[in-house]
Amino acid sequence: MLWASLAFSIPACAQSDSIALEPVIVRGFVPQRFMSGLKIQPIDSAVLAQARFQNISDVLSAFTPIAFRNYGPGQLSTSSFRGTSANHTAVLWNGLNINAPTLGQTDFSTIPVAGFDQLSVQYGSSASVIGSDAVGGSILLDSRASVQPFHASIGRQQESFKNHQTHADLRYTTSLNSLWSFSGKTAFYDGRMNNNYPKPFRRNYQLLPTETFQKGIVQDLFFQSKKDQEISAHVWLTDNKLILTPDEQGREMTRTTAYRTMLRYRIGTLTSRTAWVRDIIDYAKGDLSRPDHSVTDKFATRIEKDFLINIGSNLNTVSIKTGSEWTHYRSRVPGYDRSPISENRTDVFLLTRWQATSRLITSVNLRQGLVSSFNPPFTPSIGIEFNVVQKEDYKLIAKGSYGRSYRVPTLNERYWKDLGNPDIRPETGWNKEAGLEQTFKSAFGGTLRTSATFYHNRIKEWTYWNPSRNYRVENLQQVLARGLELQMSYQRQTRSWLAGLDAGYALNRSSQEKAYDNYSQDIVGKQLVFVPEHSANANAFIQYKFTRLTGQFQGSGKRYTTFDNSQFLDGYGLVNLLAETSISACKMKLLVQGQIRNVTDKFYLNVRNNAMPGRSYAVSLTFSYDSQ
Amino acid sequence: MKMKKQLASSLAVAFSAVLVWSCNQSDPDPKGDYVSGVFVSNEGNFSQNNGSVSFFPRERNTADADIFAAANGTALQGGVQDFVAADGKGILLVDNSVAGQDKVVFVDSYTFKSEASIGAPDIENPREAVITGSKAYVSCWGTNADLKYTTGYIAVIDLATKKVTKKINVADGPENLVYSNGKLFVGSTPWGAGNKLTIINTTTEEAGSPIATQGAANPVGLDANGKLWVNANDKVLRINTETNATETTLAIATEGFKSPGNFTFSTDLRSIFFVLSWFDSNGRELGATYKFGIGDAQIAMTTPLIPRVFTGLAVDPTQGLLYAGVTPSYAQAGYAIRYRTDGSVVDSIKVGVAPTGFFFQ
Repeated sequence: MLWASLAFSIPACAQSDSIALEPVIVRGFVPQRFMSGLKIQPIDSAVLAQARFQNISDVLSAFTPIAFRNYGPGQLSTSSFRGTSANHTAVLWNGLNINAPTLGQTDFSTIPVAGFDQLSVQYGSSASVIGSDAVGGSILLDSRASVQPFHASIGRQQESFKNHQTHADLRYTTSLNSLWSFSGKTAFYDGRMNNNYPKPFRRNYQLLPTETFQKGIVQDLFFQSKKDQEISAHVWLTDNKLILTPDEQGREMTRTTAYRTMLRYRIGTLTSRTAWVRDIIDYAKGDLSRPDHSVTDKFATRIEKDFLINIGSNLNTVSIKTGSEWTHYRSRVPGYDRSPISENRTDVFLLTRWQATSRLITSVNLRQGLVSSFNPPFTPSIGIEFNVVQKEDYKLIAKGSYGRSYRVPTLNERYWKDLGNPDIRPETGWNKEAGLEQTFKSAFGGTLRTSATFYHNRIKEWTYWNPSRNYRVENLQQVLARGLELQMSYQRQTRSWLAGLDAGYALNRSSQEKAYDNYSQDIVGKQLVFVPEHSANANAFIQYKFTRLTGQFQGSGKRYTTFDNSQFLDGYGLVNLLAETSISACKMKLLVQGQIRNVTDKFYLNVRNNAMPGRSYAVSLTFSYDSQ
Repeated sequence: MKMKKQLASSLAVAFSAVLVWSCNQSDPDPKGDYVSGVFVSNEGNFSQNNGSVSFFPRERNTADADIFAAANGTALQGGVQDFVAADGKGILLVDNSVAGQDKVVFVDSYTFKSEASIGAPDIENPREAVITGSKAYVSCWGTNADLKYTTGYIAVIDLATKKVTKKINVADGPENLVYSNGKLFVGSTPWGAGNKLTIINTTTEEAGSPIATQGAANPVGLDANGKLWVNANDKVLRINTETNATETTLAIATEGFKSPGNFTFSTDLRSIFFVLSWFDSNGRELGATYKFGIGDAQIAMTTPLIPRVFTGLAVDPTQGLLYAGVTPSYAQAGYAIRYRTDGSVVDSIKVGVAPTGFFFQ
């Protein structure tokens, strides 16, 4: 309670998902509807527009407490969400988990902001809604149908170190006949990081020479009928090539290619979706012409039905979504003890949402996963949201959630030669969380939202590539992650001026609970590696007409690099400044943006013990045409 | 109680050793925090480039974890493959996970202040170093980009100019070095196809005719009688360095799956210690540490000296204690355990990640 009051005295933070008060049938592909009690943070579209030439990790580290384990600019970057490991963040593209099935994680350096239209971050376990991997939290990427008849844009960003990014897109919508309308988007991105550092050292620490090339195409097509039907097709092809020390004989290449395709069909309350995703990883050292080539195909088909159930004349109806998802994996990986391997997974789920009174919403969700040769545990969850105060200019909502989470072992964990274990068990955990959100409609002349959330997430059978067993994978650990998140957002608008502030602080205490050999006594109770106990972020902007000035701060506490916490990387704080302005004339617009990154020239180190770049600059020009 | 007594007596020995050593110095006393004691080379975790050198005076049982960072404000940024010093001049071999970032770092071994370094292309994948007179010899695998361990060289370093003056080609991934009387004996890594002991004449700096061995050669050192001992596969060979003839061959009972390693001599050069290790089906490293005499007709394998496996083994010439490195994993700090030569434990000292080598000053 002390913490809670503290949370209020420090105006802390959050944007909440909007809550529909009337019982309606929920149509389409919106899992968030059944996540009552969980915290969801939609990222503002203006923020995504501002970061259109950057990768998703830049946006997430500026606006969320997700910690990234970064090997260097343009290099591997994996997430730690609420004190969990890189395998515990589900990344969903239009509802489909796109974590690489071999690694069970996403390299966030390969996800450019240009690849999607909407971004939401859901905190905490939501495995009953999303399935495997949703243990620490989920990143939801979505495509949205265009509303503009015709829009075209092309832009280029030129950055320090001879780096540059190009991005072009077309959005279109038209009516096909009296019944059907069509809209779509075609986007293209291409980036090259040469990382040509003028000074190869900072404080005697090397800036590792690397090159990263990234390109991709996104195609979305939406057909919508007035007779409550919708068909959409989505394609996202992306290719990322990273070369370490390109001038050396022993250079190393990692090329990550993904073909993601999806077809969705909805008629009334029945929705089906089928998807094919191919993940390719090419790795080579020395001779780059003959890489180790691994290919994994994932075929996923899902069908779901929404309906309402009457549970009594005096009671509101219950919205229900029930469905099933079938996934087939086929993988050829040089490191596996047999190739190809294939695996089937099926999930059945029942999600409910009940607006019991005008103040109370509950969700009860049930899921059972079925996997070739072993089954993850039955996965229930319950969530509650209660409007404590509902006044015109002040709202207070209390939220709580309790649910099971699980993670199906990755293909590498099961099939990697010698080190993998075909009998490895799924991880299982219980996540509890409670939070308060308040909204002041007229605070300091604007709208202020604050939130405080406490969580407690214990994960058992945590798999671990055990360094004391020659990196053989084992269900070794039991990890307890617990913490507190404080967030605030404030926005004020006058006639020509708009100003806003988003800020957050997170405490993540995450530790191994069980000893398994003599020397693991040195590890028990210690903070997990690369999980900062304290992190903070702030974004402030002020906008006058079409000119916007933004300041960003990201702070990370010390990050331990060994399990016994005997070594660590120092904490750091980074400041970025962005300025943007646009000129419009006859449906055409020219947008100019300038960025100063790491303004204070802060020295900090990455996972490889190499220096990260100091102050750097970026300038972009985006030209667009809009028919409206 | 017994433990305390042992500690007290070993401390007494340590103090008197320091005393004797200090009295022997005719020059002004060297100054620095690390004038006398034990240096531990920690390989660190390969991908994290977090190796270090730990240090402790013999009379202490806690170590300074990373003396290079303490003295220079900068970590070494790689795994430490070896550290050797003579007359206050030390060289550190640093292996980074990425190509082109390996180096030899020169330090004042009394203060550990960095003086210079040599990187690629002179130094690529350095493995071991010896210092003799004004020169240092460093075995290097070369870029080894194909990970086949076919190439390699010995980098000859002039300690005065701190430059590589010559690279002597040695195939198959050169590894262990033993110097004696104008000859440098060079072994090779068991990962490659090495099947000989290379001999380099340090006057001409040319490789002469090698000694053929069954499997990769691993020179241990010269015994009290001036004979060279070499491990190759499951054999230990005693070689006459005048004639290059193998005089004695002792077998190690490896049962076909155990590997011998970490050979080291006792102070009197009359016994050899080594570790015999293997991995069980769960990937756990098991093994034991054995001892045999240079005059033994065979290696007694029934009772190990210490029923434990170590990642490093060395005998302190000053006190005669056996130092053994323990690596619980590459993701946490390791320990240096001190034993008497009869295998009884003295104490255990926490050091850096993956302790594999010891240097005594």
